[in-house]
Amino acid sequence: MKTSLDLEKPSKTPLRLSCKQAALLVSLSFERRLSFRECVSMRLHLVWCRTCTFYGRQIKALRAIFIRHEEFLHGTPPASDEKLTDTAKKRIQDGIDRAL
Amino acid sequence: MTEKASHTPYPQQVSSPETWVRDHGDYLFRYAMMRLRDRDTAENMVQETFLAALKGRASFNGRSSERTWMVGILKHKIIDHYRKDFRERPVTDLQDFFGEEERTIDSFYDALENPRKYPKDWMPDQQATLVSKEFWTTLHGCLQKLPGPTAGAFAMREVDDMDTAAICKELGITPTNLWVMLHRARLQLRECLERNWFEKK
Repeated sequence: MKTSLDLEKPSKTPLRLSCKQAALLVSLSFERRLSFRECVSMRLHLVWCRTCTFYGRQIKALRAIFIRHEEFLHGTPPASDEKLTDTAKKRIQDGIDRAL
Repeated sequence: MTEKASHTPYPQQVSSPETWVRDHGDYLFRYAMMRLRDRDTAENMVQETFLAALKGRASFNGRSSERTWMVGILKHKIIDHYRKDFRERPVTDLQDFFGEEERTIDSFYDALENPRKYPKDWMPDQQATLVSKEFWTTLHGCLQKLPGPTAGAFAMREVDDMDTAAICKELGITPTNLWVMLHRARLQLRECLERNWFEKK
């Protein structure tokens, strides 16, 4: 079985995919509309492959996590302790003062 | 960014630069840290943002809040940083890089031949996981393990929600290059989170 897919030639997608090919198509489905052929091959694979089904669900959930990053940014829950250190603050402020 | 009441009039002039670090420093730093891998670069980006804001403060017109205006500057600085990452590399270097990304994907699948390494059946619990500080720290640790260019492309796509065409234009790469990097990033992040977070819960 061929190991990599030619993403520029969707019509050449084999009907039977390896896990590696199927996972690539799952990821690709977030980036562009899959061709009919790609879609059928991917769905066929997902019917019997537990592993790729988990993979697909999890990376979808990962994408949802990044949508929550705004909250992270505001320091409200989910909060982050990320702060500029006092040294960095001083250095940056000095830079501003010099440029003023 | 998040100011909902965009019709609210904002002050026509920026506040005194002496208060910028105190008022916006941590916020801009967190914004940068979500998109960059290391503190030093993030700090430098914040500093450059303030200096650019200082130069451009006469052009601030109060159509957005001061913070939104600064975030806009920072966003451009970060994209510039990644653009340089790609555009200043020799073409052969880049080809090697994309080749390496494909080999990394291969090696994930070689590992998958071992059933014990199969993705485990977990799903992040939106409520419990995402409000946890430790989760965000773990996620950030995982992001830092990505190669710089991959992390940049991933941040533009997932954090800033830019589309393929826009990212490719900024970075001067083909859609296929981008898709391979995004796939690699997702594979690696998924695995890293599984190992360092979900399996430990």
